[in-house]
Amino acid sequence: MSQIVLQAENLTKIYRSADRDLVVLNEISFAVEQGNSISIIGPSGSGKTTLLGLCAGLDTPSSGTISLMGFKLNNMSEDDRAYIRNQYVGFVFQNFQLLSTLTALENVMVPLELRGERNVMPKAKELLHRVGLADRVHHYPSQLSGGEQQRVAMARAFMTDPKILFADEPTGNLDEENATHITDLLFGLNKEQGTTLVLVTHNLELAQRTQRILRMKGGHLVQDIYSPSIAR
Amino acid sequence: MIEYIIKIKRKTKNIFTDRWVWRMAWRDARHNYSRLMLFTASLITGIAAVVALDSLNQSLQKDIDDNAKELLGADLVVNGDKKFVPEVRTLFDSLKYPQASEADMASMVLFLNNGQSRLIRLVALKGNFPFYGEIETQPSNAYRKVKDGKYAMLDETLASQFEVSSDDSIRIGNSVFKVSGVVKKIPGGGGIMTTFTPSVYISLDHLDSTGLVQFGSRVNYKQYFKIYSEKQKAATVEKIRPILRKHGYGFDTVEERKEDLGEGFQSIYRFFSLLAFVALILGCIGVASSVHIYAREKREEVAVLRCVGSSGWQAFNIFFIQIFLLGIVGSIVGSLIGVGIQQLIPYFLDGVIPFDLTFSVSWQSLLLGLLIGTVVSVLFSILPLVGVRFVPPLSVLRTDSKPVRIFSKTKVVAIILIALFPMAFAAIQTKSILTGLMFFLGLVAALACLTVVAILLLMVVRRFFPHQAGFIWRHSLSSLFRPNNQTRVLMVTIGLGAFIISTLNIVEQSMLSQVEFTGQENQSNTILFDIQPSQKDGVIRLMEENKLNVNQVVPIITCRLSELRGRTVDSLQRDTSDRVPNWALTREYRITYRDTLHHSEELIKGKVQYRATAGDSVFVTISEGMEENLEVKIGDSLVFDVQGVPVKAYISGVRKVEWPKDPPNFIFVFPTGVLESAPQIYVTATRIDDQAQANKFQQALVMQFPNVSLIDLRLILNTVNELFNKLGLIIRFLALFSIITGLVVLAGAVINSKFVRIKENVLLRTVGARTSQITQITLIEYAYLGLFSALTGMILSLAGGWLLTKFFFEITFAFDWIELSIIGGGVVLLTMAIGWFNSREVISTPPLQVLRKES
Repeated sequence: MSQIVLQAENLTKIYRSADRDLVVLNEISFAVEQGNSISIIGPSGSGKTTLLGLCAGLDTPSSGTISLMGFKLNNMSEDDRAYIRNQYVGFVFQNFQLLSTLTALENVMVPLELRGERNVMPKAKELLHRVGLADRVHHYPSQLSGGEQQRVAMARAFMTDPKILFADEPTGNLDEENATHITDLLFGLNKEQGTTLVLVTHNLELAQRTQRILRMKGGHLVQDIYSPSIAR
Repeated sequence: MIEYIIKIKRKTKNIFTDRWVWRMAWRDARHNYSRLMLFTASLITGIAAVVALDSLNQSLQKDIDDNAKELLGADLVVNGDKKFVPEVRTLFDSLKYPQASEADMASMVLFLNNGQSRLIRLVALKGNFPFYGEIETQPSNAYRKVKDGKYAMLDETLASQFEVSSDDSIRIGNSVFKVSGVVKKIPGGGGIMTTFTPSVYISLDHLDSTGLVQFGSRVNYKQYFKIYSEKQKAATVEKIRPILRKHGYGFDTVEERKEDLGEGFQSIYRFFSLLAFVALILGCIGVASSVHIYAREKREEVAVLRCVGSSGWQAFNIFFIQIFLLGIVGSIVGSLIGVGIQQLIPYFLDGVIPFDLTFSVSWQSLLLGLLIGTVVSVLFSILPLVGVRFVPPLSVLRTDSKPVRIFSKTKVVAIILIALFPMAFAAIQTKSILTGLMFFLGLVAALACLTVVAILLLMVVRRFFPHQAGFIWRHSLSSLFRPNNQTRVLMVTIGLGAFIISTLNIVEQSMLSQVEFTGQENQSNTILFDIQPSQKDGVIRLMEENKLNVNQVVPIITCRLSELRGRTVDSLQRDTSDRVPNWALTREYRITYRDTLHHSEELIKGKVQYRATAGDSVFVTISEGMEENLEVKIGDSLVFDVQGVPVKAYISGVRKVEWPKDPPNFIFVFPTGVLESAPQIYVTATRIDDQAQANKFQQALVMQFPNVSLIDLRLILNTVNELFNKLGLIIRFLALFSIITGLVVLAGAVINSKFVRIKENVLLRTVGARTSQITQITLIEYAYLGLFSALTGMILSLAGGWLLTKFFFEITFAFDWIELSIIGGGVVLLTMAIGWFNSREVISTPPLQVLRKES
């Protein structure tokens, strides 16, 4: 039996404002097995990004539980959740989120250095070579194009050999050619390393490459399809 | 599903063992030079001020200690304003210690080489004065000649002013003296008083030949003693004290002089400490403000680090290490600059203090600078940096995410320490908890007032926003209200600098206006005094021959108090519970009589007896303030000893006297009909506007009436001006620290708002704005900022200046709009210059380049 790496049970997120409560996620439950790829789709404001944030331990739910790699995130401190992220999770964001003051190589090294590991440079260089940036290792993010920056972000995400990778619109800011390149890399590494992939996207073509699609609408999970084709 | 572990067991490392945070601190700092430079600049300015001023204080104290004996020239000096009476002379003779004598008085001197004359302090010396230190003269044998013959030495400033050299002659009273040389340094001399009344030195043996010591002449007598041991000195003081007190003489020892000097310098120390305190606090504001902006800019970066697994403390430590290390570097640089500045300060103080200020590096001050710099960089950066710990990782997905936690114990401790720090620093600086507390409260009050004025000004601008004005004027004004523009902080810090400088200017103007009565039409500007009765008509005739108005001829009678409120002065002196100061009881009073109130005075209590006839009780009026010193009220009796004749009088009224207005003015005024037959001298006053006429008259006066002295109030006005220029220079120089810190904060705000400005400018250029228009908008925005900052400081300085002149200096409040406008204009121009300098990139960057960067 495959191991479950992510499990959401009755996840609800409510944002409280002065005059009313805004329910952005309502009783969401699902589980993801090790090595699977899953995409979360839906219109703007449907709660996709909120769900990703909760699953990755970047935020806490108003009610319900999240288990990541068997750890219940709800009652953990922020620093404990950060530790879990460092040990098991990788991220790729729409706007790359590289550290502007660090070179491409240094950006990639950060997660392993944080663990206190030494001699991490060869691995970082190899990953950068893998994503086609062997000659750009000492460039700063501002000296790289959008596609190159996203490739650095990918290398950083895979640096820790994560059990699960969360990607938020990874191709949202890229042209078609770069988008294809990034997507190939993402799924290639997912397959090679057996990394679970959780993807938030508007791009149906991209979503169709995952094994499972969760469709969100108005904070509700309206469809959970284990098929590469999706009904409109 | 398997639950691996219930509780996380993660290893936590402290700041010293976590190599990653040190590495990240270094990597991140490489790209933040300009932002971190702002923090360092704020710190450097504050620390430089603290070290410079503290080091100066240490040097002053050390020099006073080292020079104490030289400042007095002897171990003990007895002084009085009358010749030593036989009992005292006998007492002196009984003391078997080396002695020297001195008599000094005001007199006119006529320079025979050019026919000019001037009021001087004539110092007549006898014996081997000084016993400590030496009189430095040019040529070196000048003092020897004075001792041996009819020679005179002149203060260096006087000799150079009237171009007198050795072998020229001067006339003092009835005698002509050959000039033997100039005095460069003399124990007990020098300092600011030399500027007011330069001295001429002769031998005491020749004083009588001048004929200056006459009835009514005001002569100070001194007897110097060299006593070999402290024990002997204590015994001598015990022996002479009661006899001197009985006859109204005083004495001074090295310790007392040191104490007096120390007390005199206390206010200078305090003033320097206050300036150091203000500069440091502004530096702290600069540190906190730059770190606050820095931390805010790092939010996104921190969120990413949190995503990849950094703990809150790790993120905090990265930036804390940067700030801490730079704080140490800034403290070292600031301390070294402070030592450099200290070298400059003696130049500003030259001629203000009565000894040469030696330069020495105070290690204590250097260490203090390093310590304070490190404490400031830690303390004032913790508060803004603590927020870094609570940056939510969710910010990478949603920039508007709220912090995970707001309350923090570190924050509370930092706030408490920040509140305590200024108080502790001020208390250490001033060596007094109370003064430290006063400084702190004063600063809080000043900053609070400045903040209130800044808020009100901005409210007024918003309320009366010129909606009809042209685009450029409107847009640049509305830029002041841009988020994160720090307009209020800037107005307060730059305003504080403007406040210090303009308050100084107001005090200066108020003091000058006291002397400037002389500038007004029909006001006397020349006073002639020590006119003997036999000379009165001759002097008046001479004035009339020179076509000078005789504004008033006032009789002056010298007398002393022998009884007060029915008790003799002796018994009051013996009564330890009596609070009337000894000087007020024993001094010589110069009184007059008249049947009118002079226009410089106003009756504020009681009434005036204008004329007294035989058999009437005599009622006198007293000047405001003196009635408090003597603790008398209306109806109290006094007995004056008028040249041996007791005259009983009662206080009938109190006069408010504008002392500088049309002098002479008096403490006691008698009615007519009482003192007419008492021995008296006269004072008269006139107005001379033409310098040539003044020279001619002075020359004739000195020739015909050598004992009559003349005060040229214009000369005093010039001297006061000169003094203020000198003192003002140093105060302005030191106040510059606060202006510089304000400008550092301004530069920080400009650099940090650069990105917002670039975006704005790109937008403006896209819709067709020309470079010249963008330059104008930028410059006008800083002009507004400078103007509002200057107004903030100057509005408060009017209030502060009024309070200072009214309650501290007790003089009439006055200010000069033109000078205040120049100060304001200077602040505006400086602000514009700094603003423009830091915005050049914003103005000159092509839009396409910016748009590319943006994308």
